[in-house]
Amino acid sequence: MKILIAEDDPVSCRILAANLKKWGHDVVVTHNGNDAWRALHTQGAPSLAILDRMMPDVDGIEICRQLRREKTDTPVHVILLTSLNRREDLLEGLEAGADDYLTKPLDTHELRARLQAAARILELQESLRQRVRELEAAIAERKLAEEALRNLSLTDQLTGLYNYRGFLNLAEHHAKTSRRSHTRSLLIYADMDGLKEINDTLGHRAGSAAISAAAEILRRTFRDCDIIARLGGDEFAVLVPDLQQAPTAKLLERLEQNLRNYNDEGHHEFTVGLSIGAVEIDHEEVWHIEDQMGRADEMMYREKRKKKCEQESASVRGGY
Amino acid sequence: MSLTTGLAAVDLAVLASYEEAQIEGEPDFVVELIDLYLDEVPRLFDSIHTAIQNDDSSTAKRAAHSLRGSSGNLGVLQIAAIAGELEHLPNPCGTSATQLLQSLETELQRVKEILNAERQKRSR
Repeated sequence: MKILIAEDDPVSCRILAANLKKWGHDVVVTHNGNDAWRALHTQGAPSLAILDRMMPDVDGIEICRQLRREKTDTPVHVILLTSLNRREDLLEGLEAGADDYLTKPLDTHELRARLQAAARILELQESLRQRVRELEAAIAERKLAEEALRNLSLTDQLTGLYNYRGFLNLAEHHAKTSRRSHTRSLLIYADMDGLKEINDTLGHRAGSAAISAAAEILRRTFRDCDIIARLGGDEFAVLVPDLQQAPTAKLLERLEQNLRNYNDEGHHEFTVGLSIGAVEIDHEEVWHIEDQMGRADEMMYREKRKKKCEQESASVRGGY
Repeated sequence: MSLTTGLAAVDLAVLASYEEAQIEGEPDFVVELIDLYLDEVPRLFDSIHTAIQNDDSSTAKRAAHSLRGSSGNLGVLQIAAIAGELEHLPNPCGTSATQLLQSLETELQRVKEILNAERQKRSR
């Protein structure tokens, strides 16, 4: 063990140090409280300290008290040295947080036995710390696994729609097979209007409710075979794999109508609006869903900007 | 003044017990302890002496306590006993204190002779 001695009497100090060295311990010798305190706060500090009760500057009891005030997961094991006939010192020392005590003049057999007891306690503490570290590592690993599992999931928790990953998987698969079936597809990119304002003024619960409402409107507008997804935040995408059933204009009109119906119900604390970008995809050539999403996204932004301009000029007119 | 009699000036068996802590190849440990002790004691005597002159009881008590500890450790029994008496005097700076300090000084001469002889014997 690495052991610190703080003892101002040179003879006692030497006897103590000699015995500890003889027993194979690594000994750090100090002769006053301040040096002892410093030695206990250096890199690789001793885990056990034998402190004299009486020292000219800072005595052993005071060091004890200050050590116990520190929050640490590697507390120093303190053995206090007191004179044989000073029982009150002994009690004071234990109250100050000393783990054990030895009386002077030193009985080397007793010293040895006390050190063995200390070593057992320190080993036990170390094995507990080790166990805590292992458990913490296990918890961290578990969290990573859960995170990975979430990433593997294909649906969005809030809306039950596909998530970004689910959408890409299904759409990519469709892109590969659509060439064979010679169908035309429609890709819609939809971004909610004013979600930030809803969050800011009504709170995040209202924001979540608005996202769920938008999801529900999309679900009502499109069919089960269409791929509807929440890509994240306030962005949605829909892939209609087969346009033969209904032309684009009609689908978008139905979406507008469903939005109007929802907002006209009048009992919602917010209005749901969507800016839309729609791209029709011909299947004569190879296409990639991400390229098409980029196109649809751009169109959506154009619409969003247009809406903003209209809104601003409307409010300017309103100001007159 | 109750000078403690019947005690050996130095209990050589106590000194000899430190041979156990001797590490092979290192200088004689008992000699080292004797040197430390003979070096420390005059300092403590001075400290007691000055404290008595300045009527500083707490310093006198403290130095007497250290002297008792160091002496006890090396089996220097008479000095340990007198130092203990001094430490526990109601007034450690009074006349009895001065008398005890005198007997300490006399006793130290005797102790020095014994320890030096022991030292010689072991250094051979």
